[in-house]
Amino acid sequence: MNDPQRAVETAPAVLTVRGLGKAYGAVDDAVISRTGSDRGSARDPLSGSIIAAWDVSFDVAAGEALGIVGESGSGTSTVLRCIAGDVPATCGDVRMECHDGGTSNVLTADPSERRRMRVDKISVVYQDPAEGLSLGVTAGGNIADPLTAAGWRNFMAIRERARELLARTDVPLDRMDDIVRTFSGGMRQRVQIARALANNPSVILLDEPTTGLDASVAAGVLDLLRGLLEEMNMAAVVVSHDFSVIEMLTSRCIVMHHGRVVESTLTDQLLEDPHHPYSQRLVSAARA
Amino acid sequence: MSTTLDGLVGSEQGVPFALLDEESKREIRRALLHAVAVPGHQVPFGSREMPVARGWGSGGLQVTLAIVGRDDTVKVIDQGDDEGVNAVNLRRLVVSSTGVEETSEVHEATIIQSRHRIPEDEMGENHVLVLQVPVPEPLRGVERDTRELSRMHAEADYSRMWVSLYEDIVRNGVITQSTGYPCLVNGRYVVATTPIPRWDIPRLHDASFLTLFGAGREKRVYAIPPHTTVEPLIFDDIPFEVETAEGASCRLCGSAESFLVSAPGDDDSWSCSDTAWCRRRRQK
Amino acid sequence: MSTPAPILDVSGLCKEFVLHNIDGRKVNGLDNVSFALDPGEHLVLAGSSGAGKSTLLRAVYRTYLPTSGRVNFVLDDGRTVDLAVIPDRELLALRGRQIGYVSQFLRVQPRRGVLDLVTRAGVSRGMDVPSARDAAATSLRRLNIGEHLWDVHVAVLSGGEKQRVNIAAGLISPPRLVLLDEPVSALDPENRESAIELIGELRAQGVAVLAVFHDLDAIARLADRVLLMRRGRVTADGPTGEVLPMLKKEEALL
Repeated sequence: MNDPQRAVETAPAVLTVRGLGKAYGAVDDAVISRTGSDRGSARDPLSGSIIAAWDVSFDVAAGEALGIVGESGSGTSTVLRCIAGDVPATCGDVRMECHDGGTSNVLTADPSERRRMRVDKISVVYQDPAEGLSLGVTAGGNIADPLTAAGWRNFMAIRERARELLARTDVPLDRMDDIVRTFSGGMRQRVQIARALANNPSVILLDEPTTGLDASVAAGVLDLLRGLLEEMNMAAVVVSHDFSVIEMLTSRCIVMHHGRVVESTLTDQLLEDPHHPYSQRLVSAARA
Repeated sequence: MSTTLDGLVGSEQGVPFALLDEESKREIRRALLHAVAVPGHQVPFGSREMPVARGWGSGGLQVTLAIVGRDDTVKVIDQGDDEGVNAVNLRRLVVSSTGVEETSEVHEATIIQSRHRIPEDEMGENHVLVLQVPVPEPLRGVERDTRELSRMHAEADYSRMWVSLYEDIVRNGVITQSTGYPCLVNGRYVVATTPIPRWDIPRLHDASFLTLFGAGREKRVYAIPPHTTVEPLIFDDIPFEVETAEGASCRLCGSAESFLVSAPGDDDSWSCSDTAWCRRRRQK
Repeated sequence: MSTPAPILDVSGLCKEFVLHNIDGRKVNGLDNVSFALDPGEHLVLAGSSGAGKSTLLRAVYRTYLPTSGRVNFVLDDGRTVDLAVIPDRELLALRGRQIGYVSQFLRVQPRRGVLDLVTRAGVSRGMDVPSARDAAATSLRRLNIGEHLWDVHVAVLSGGEKQRVNIAAGLISPPRLVLLDEPVSALDPENRESAIELIGELRAQGVAVLAVFHDLDAIARLADRVLLMRRGRVTADGPTGEVLPMLKKEEALL
């Protein structure tokens, strides 16, 4: 996309989200007007519908990371899961360069197609490694899963690729053939990241990737992610309520409150010059 | 005193040809046609109560009874042996309820019902092989949820099967799964070849005979039509190996090229698993 | 001799902070600031603390979003963009490559080796890896960061060492406009000297510098021009020789 109007050339977006919404219960204009940040709740007091996320739009280019900031329950993870296909969206248009060259709405693709996209086009790293890993399978076996799904049929090549990924994510190679259940939380998270990278996805979605880890372990995982995002030219979306994660990994972010985007800005600008009252509250709380 | 079996098959009136009523046989045949049309796909059927317990060949028996005609000749084996108790019982049931011929010779038979083996003899397009299957679901070991299982088959999502093979090699150095080795049929569906040994797997590939699988307890049938590709799931760099007993030969016929089993309690004494084949070799 | 067209032309720049959670109080940061900066020119912002010097740097870099006014920047291809309003992604594309910012502190301190960090900064501005590595080594040596520290994680360095690494990373293959926010304030005299030398060399490379320096000595040595600020306004703008005495007088009063 070379817009002649634009003076500064930017990398084209490989992930485009427009008007994404997820409602639990009936939804119409009235319900929307009775919910959201300015109404102080995602739940409509009349119908009981919950508008978990509404009218969410953003773009992410290759090699770029966008943060989605908000307290738990603000809709951040919902947005991520709708994009991933874990949760069906109520409305919206999500396009990815890796899917039909960005010409069709991912949200309307059939479920099996969406699951196939998860093999080699779009990866998710969940807060809880148990969600992204089979804990009863070895570290290597967990990586063999997406590889065999993508058609790898050579045992030694699979082993080699698993070794390479585990080395890259700082998992000791002598643990490769151990069941993941025997791993510490930080180590499980590294295996989950290794697995997510197995087929070089063009989009990676990170949902609170360091929440729940000890501070020192979290710092290591954060360093790892930062290095990977710099190297691998993926489009990344990082959901976190932790500003140090957002600051470390992203250059732009959106702030969500009661299911709505209240601010969309540069990450350093959010931290130094937040505009929305909710953003200001979040930032000052993080500083305290 | 008359037995239940006598009661069922002994009286002339009221008991239909081949034990099952026509509606039931038709329903099973419809399922079988579906299975043949979609090779390797498991098709549900209304498994009937049989005069053998479920898990003792009731699925294979229903398939045989549904397809048998007056001109057929039936051979039934258990572990390769025509005289196994289970084989004898099932064969007697088929023959007594239909009046068809029975045989232990492959070349005379048109329907061969088996548990655990494919006969050593060459089979052709005039043969139908009916296999009694205890566990028809190849993915049972990696997934219990039936909805997820049908999704995995529908999307040919077999990566977890591959992971279990990967883990088997990592843990044991080799693939230890012996009977029921998972195979990809017609490049599409993974099937359980339970209960036959790996030795028999290559014989299913591009076979000129029709193989029908019946699982009575699990209420499933599936099929491998003639001349269909059957590929064991195997990594490119790890050869598929059939069971071998180094240096062993049959103590009765001297064969070293058939599937051998060791005598109970004596690991050094081997004999052919296919007793009819072994007997014919000795007679020559 | 014709005067070059300015690389940065700031006009009527205002910044007001609205503190929603303190009764919606408004705080004035910048009030109608205008100035221009030529390629290769070194302009120093001076004034007492709270005068708005850092605020102005941040508003140019858009860490603070200007409330009104223009921040016209001339791109390397000659076209002009208003940094106050271009989309976030376009601004990010300019940051680092055409506009650099060296603050007193490293914002994010990754556990990455010193040499690696400076080399990457060079690579991000288009250098190939071997020449970026050479240039990084040279400037680290000049800033007295010994080789024994090159593979050490930046996060474990002392404040003064971090500061010098930050300068090395900010000035390697320098962008066309460099914003410096008290870059030498945390340094001891010897290291301060090498840093000032390195910054002074930017002039010969045609790099425009907009800087905040605390001490008068650095200002006298590095500034072509000084912008004196008070309470978010520009109170004087002229050659260093003219404005420096005013600044000294102001400091003397305080």
